[in-house]
Amino acid sequence: MLINELYFILPELIITSCICLLVLINSLAKNLRQYSGVLIGSAAMMACIFVSLILFSENSVDIFNNHFRVDNLATGLKLVTFITTLIVILGTNTDKLNADSEIILIELFAVLGVLILCSANNLLTLYLGLETLTLSMYGLVASKRSSEIATESAMKFFIQGAIASAFFLYGTSLIYGLYQTLSLTIFSNPDINNSIELQLALAFIICGIAFKFGAFPFHSWVPDSYQGSSNSVALFISTVPKIGAFALIYRLLITSFIAVTEFWTILILVLGLMSLIFGNLIAISQSNLKRLLGYSAIGHMGFVLIAISIGSLEGAQASLFYLLIYILMTSVAFMCLEVLSNKNRSIVTLSDIKDLNSSHPWIALIMLFSMFSMVGIPPFIGFYAKWIVLSELLNAGMLSVSITAIIMSVIAAFYYLRVVWYMYFEKTELPVMQKGSTLIQKSTLSIIGVMILLMGLYPSPMIDFCKSIISPFILID
Amino acid sequence: MIVDQIIWLPILTALIIVALGEKRSELSYKISLFISILVFGLSVYVLYLFDPTTSGFQFVLKTQWIERFNINYHLGIDGISLPLILLTTFLTPIVIYTAKTTSKNKLHQYLASFLLLEGLMVGVFSAMDAFLFYVFWEAMLIPMFLIIGVWGGKNRIYATVKFFLYTFLGSVFMLIAIIYLYLKSGSYLITDFYYLPLQVNQQIVIFMAFLFAFAVKIPMWPVHTWLPDAHVEAPTGGSVILAAVLLKMGGYGLLRFSLPISPEGSMTLAPLMITLSLIAIIYIGLVAIAQTDMKKLIAYSSISHMGFVTLGCFVFFIEGNALNPATINLAINGAMIQMISHGLISAALFLSIGVMYDRLHTREINDYGGIVTTMPKFATLMVFFALANAALPGTSGFVGELTVILAAFKANGFIASLSALTLIIGAAYTLWMIKRVIFGPVKNEKINQLNDMNKLESISLGLLALSILILGVWPKPLIDLMNESINLLTLFITGT
Repeated sequence: MLINELYFILPELIITSCICLLVLINSLAKNLRQYSGVLIGSAAMMACIFVSLILFSENSVDIFNNHFRVDNLATGLKLVTFITTLIVILGTNTDKLNADSEIILIELFAVLGVLILCSANNLLTLYLGLETLTLSMYGLVASKRSSEIATESAMKFFIQGAIASAFFLYGTSLIYGLYQTLSLTIFSNPDINNSIELQLALAFIICGIAFKFGAFPFHSWVPDSYQGSSNSVALFISTVPKIGAFALIYRLLITSFIAVTEFWTILILVLGLMSLIFGNLIAISQSNLKRLLGYSAIGHMGFVLIAISIGSLEGAQASLFYLLIYILMTSVAFMCLEVLSNKNRSIVTLSDIKDLNSSHPWIALIMLFSMFSMVGIPPFIGFYAKWIVLSELLNAGMLSVSITAIIMSVIAAFYYLRVVWYMYFEKTELPVMQKGSTLIQKSTLSIIGVMILLMGLYPSPMIDFCKSIISPFILID
Repeated sequence: MIVDQIIWLPILTALIIVALGEKRSELSYKISLFISILVFGLSVYVLYLFDPTTSGFQFVLKTQWIERFNINYHLGIDGISLPLILLTTFLTPIVIYTAKTTSKNKLHQYLASFLLLEGLMVGVFSAMDAFLFYVFWEAMLIPMFLIIGVWGGKNRIYATVKFFLYTFLGSVFMLIAIIYLYLKSGSYLITDFYYLPLQVNQQIVIFMAFLFAFAVKIPMWPVHTWLPDAHVEAPTGGSVILAAVLLKMGGYGLLRFSLPISPEGSMTLAPLMITLSLIAIIYIGLVAIAQTDMKKLIAYSSISHMGFVTLGCFVFFIEGNALNPATINLAINGAMIQMISHGLISAALFLSIGVMYDRLHTREINDYGGIVTTMPKFATLMVFFALANAALPGTSGFVGELTVILAAFKANGFIASLSALTLIIGAAYTLWMIKRVIFGPVKNEKINQLNDMNKLESISLGLLALSILILGVWPKPLIDLMNESINLLTLFITGT
């Protein structure tokens, strides 16, 4: 039986053994350090992608005494995690600084956390995954040890994160007190009644979730930690943890506690709208590209959350679609910065990318794809994400929410256009002239950049993917 | 499918040109000129194959695109879209042909933007699926944003961001309306929307949502303020396409969406629309007189002329108690002819200003004078275009305005007389500009040294002059082409 169960956690096992291997290599064979992370990391990701594709065709199972659930959602989200991490690893500069701080090793730990989150079927397992992820993220943000900003932002991040974890844990303990169990399977039972104690517990848990998403008012760590960390770390923490957060919200809210749906949808809706409004308004005044992308991420999370707040499976599908597209667009944006930066010059502010069109027309074009996609201009995929969320909102009769969302995305258009105008319209004495990014980095960037356009021309596979992984759970014994 | 080729051939060429890079811009120029002429040839071939005796869509192409939401890649052409497609494919080669004179910096990207724009514009005019329509409609903002921003004048960034945000804000409301109509009808097919049983209140809301998008594009007073900025700052080619084709998409949208989907809503709001049109015609016309910048003057004149298009689209609603199909037909015919004619005339005027700007690098009227002494050939054409802009009989401008005014007379004599004021105001601002720029004493030494048009310029302007003249003297082929489709539209408006 146990051997059988191990088959279902094969991706987790692969990641864990790679982590062990990397720890050994990094401490024993220091001269291999520089490339070991990238090599082992990407090999692990490819293996995991392969395994999860196989697992995709399996039926849903609950293993380890119902603590761990492997269903379409879990496998699908894991697949996305692996692909995203592969992109991140391939896009990371293999310079000495990154290698010394063992970024890829910590990233693998974070991935492990996300995997546990995706499959957790018990509040305790969920918390384990959450902490594995969050603790690795503190490490990642602090990885630029010599930088004051990095230390400061890691400290801020840590304090806020610790408070959010405490909130989450407190909510969990309330739920345990109410029902003497932590198993999510039991909570998905429709007989559970609505009570003020349950609402209180969920409110605490939602605070924890909002922190993971970086939603207003738990957002302030997002721009700080983006600014403090290197581009490749920012690329990682802006994408992969969000997948875990989505798993969290899906397992905890959408499929459980059906009686209190009306309560949590309002909370999530308010969080979503606030993130949308504040994220986008504050982003307008940013001149630091990474902070700009940070606030833009808050705005995007607003979209993800208001789609969740519809409270239906269709809403969750729209939300997941938006999230995946957000991950793609953000990866492209940060990867452009990473490819353009090198040891001597890091691309940080808007004026650093002035006249990029003359020095690096191709990278400028890809950045333009990403920016217009974030604005929501067709034929780029970002438009479809906004459109599906709007469709579901209107379908649920939430007209005023959809009008707010759409007006905020027009306002948001301004700062994305600003990036394009700095790249295309401004002239500069000091153009970016980088050398040092590898062919692998450039080709990864090109592939995902072109994906923004190609998926936009034919979005059906992506829509169907989201539909197929979010479907009513059927347990087959 | 031939419509498919007209859309994708320029777009693919644009990608190739971008890939070729800056060093091979000479080759890019040749390729893009060849492709744009080929595309024009293809659209003329469509005209040849087109059967004007049927009212429905022709050259229909339909394949599944996004199954889950019942969205199809669905193209088709009728009598209303074909003239606009021809206008687009006719003007693009001219813009590309003259590209060399205005833009030296990153020529390949300039050409690619226009080819991209061409494909997308044809897409807008031939999309039968509302979703596909929206995709083309919005995608067009990207090349236009770049054209104004990269190759524009001094204040280009302000102008292009304003242009983008204005039009984007307008069109998002259209997106909500389209999604709403989809939720009602279960399909994104535009013609399915026509048959939806909608209450008057719903129709008014839908009409307003679409109006936001179209009014900004047309542009109608009071959301017109982006246009003078965009026009003044855009490079010549950008102004030409902006005035000649982009504005027409607003008018096309009214005919394709607003009128047939919400006829009762249109009827309720017709007084508002007519008032706004008259304000555009008269007030903006007066504003044009006061301009000192030639491009700004033509920009305001464009807004004023587009007022006739909106007037033609709505004036028939106030005729007596019952709708008269004959008036509807006449008014919409007038609106369509006015769109085509304004497309040609404004393109010609912006190109002419471009010819002068290339030589003297100023657009101020006061810097010019006595051009006729050194550039007689150019002056002849410029005067002709100006007269066409002032609706001289024998030019296409006259046909369009006269038809709309005739329809307005049937509906309401007072409105007709007000709109007929344009014949005076239009003549005033255009001819006064011509007097100061072309005639009069030679203003300064530079004008004495001007060369007359070169071959490139004379061919482009000559072609435009010829088409304005043909359409003015013999507009019947155009009317025949549109007639059946407008009849069908009339049926939807009268609700029978």
